[in-house]
Amino acid sequence: MAAKDSPLKQFEIDPISNIELGGYNISFTNSSFAMLITVLVITLFLTLTVSTRSIIPSRMQLISELMYNFIAQLLSDTVGDNGKRYFPFVFSLFMFVLIGNMVGMIPYQFTFTSHIIVTFALAAVVFIGVTILGFINHGIKFFTFFYIPGVPFYMHPLLIPIEVISYLSRPISLSVRLFANMLAGHTLLKVFAGFVVSMPFFTGVFPLAFIVALTGLEILIAFLQAYVFAILTCLYINDAYHLH
Amino acid sequence: MPQLNPEFFVSQLFWLAVFFTFLFVFLWRVSLPRIATVLEKRQNKIDENLSSAKELQEQAMEIEKKINDQINKAKLETDEKIKETINALQENVSSQLSSLDKDLEKKVSDAEKEILKSKDDQMKNINNEIVNITKLTVGKITDIELSDNELNKVIETHKGNFN
Repeated sequence: MAAKDSPLKQFEIDPISNIELGGYNISFTNSSFAMLITVLVITLFLTLTVSTRSIIPSRMQLISELMYNFIAQLLSDTVGDNGKRYFPFVFSLFMFVLIGNMVGMIPYQFTFTSHIIVTFALAAVVFIGVTILGFINHGIKFFTFFYIPGVPFYMHPLLIPIEVISYLSRPISLSVRLFANMLAGHTLLKVFAGFVVSMPFFTGVFPLAFIVALTGLEILIAFLQAYVFAILTCLYINDAYHLH
Repeated sequence: MPQLNPEFFVSQLFWLAVFFTFLFVFLWRVSLPRIATVLEKRQNKIDENLSSAKELQEQAMEIEKKINDQINKAKLETDEKIKETINALQENVSSQLSSLDKDLEKKVSDAEKEILKSKDDQMKNINNEIVNITKLTVGKITDIELSDNELNKVIETHKGNFN
């Protein structure tokens, strides 16, 4: 497949300005630009819509409040009262992934959540943070997390390694889930977009219609993946408090 | 796959760290407290309104209680008044009835007395007439002149036969 027409070409990173720091290439790229747009959209929206601080909210203020309450509810449902401390982090994570996905839905706009290194970094922050939190809350007892009570003793040699592996694979599953969803969705859109151009006469309308439907699905997935990312983070935080 | 090209890994991680840290700090310090204060303000307002509504409701209930008390009081008073009036009327009626009865009895007894008196008078008149008629008859048939006293005596002795 020619590189020019490859559905994966959209994931290529193009530097906008080349920057080097301490021998490392930290160029400002289209990925960085998408992050910048995402952060600007979130901060401006959440600041401007609530600027009047009115008791009877405008529609836009209501959206901000709904998002706030959505994550606050999610945290209090999964973690309880302990969760309030992590609200800013979970909210930032949710908004960053959600708006990052949504910005990626704009045609010709780069989707930084389709890069495994980005999602893995976010998942790693969650994983390391939660593990440290677990040790802070429970000390050495945190290792009992891998011990499942109420299981016949001869099962433990089998179950404990499984538990350890499943715990260690958390950042991988968390990051790959988001990355793979974004990758697959955008690749599929690109493949069908290629059909629109290459099919003869008016038959290109059919893949076009499919793209329209798929775009709707992708927007749903964009929200869903952000939600899944946030709720799993909440569950991991909960695990760090209540070991089983 | 461009995702696996490590050329821009450091760049991506660097800018991710920069932007996500900025976003986190900004939301944590600026945006979220703002939304929280708005929500808190609204909750306070709602609580305030709810408590004042509760207060007003309590006041309304108190007033309603007072009204009910007054209605009950008024009802009792009216009942008392009605009873009093009925009693007074009954007394009045019974006293008037008794006075009427007395009047009637008096009238009846007066009438009876009068009837008796007139009966006596009539009887006296009859006696006198009898005396006169007897005197006249005896005088016409015989030449005996009878005195009134003698005749009266005779009549008295025979009075039982007339009745």
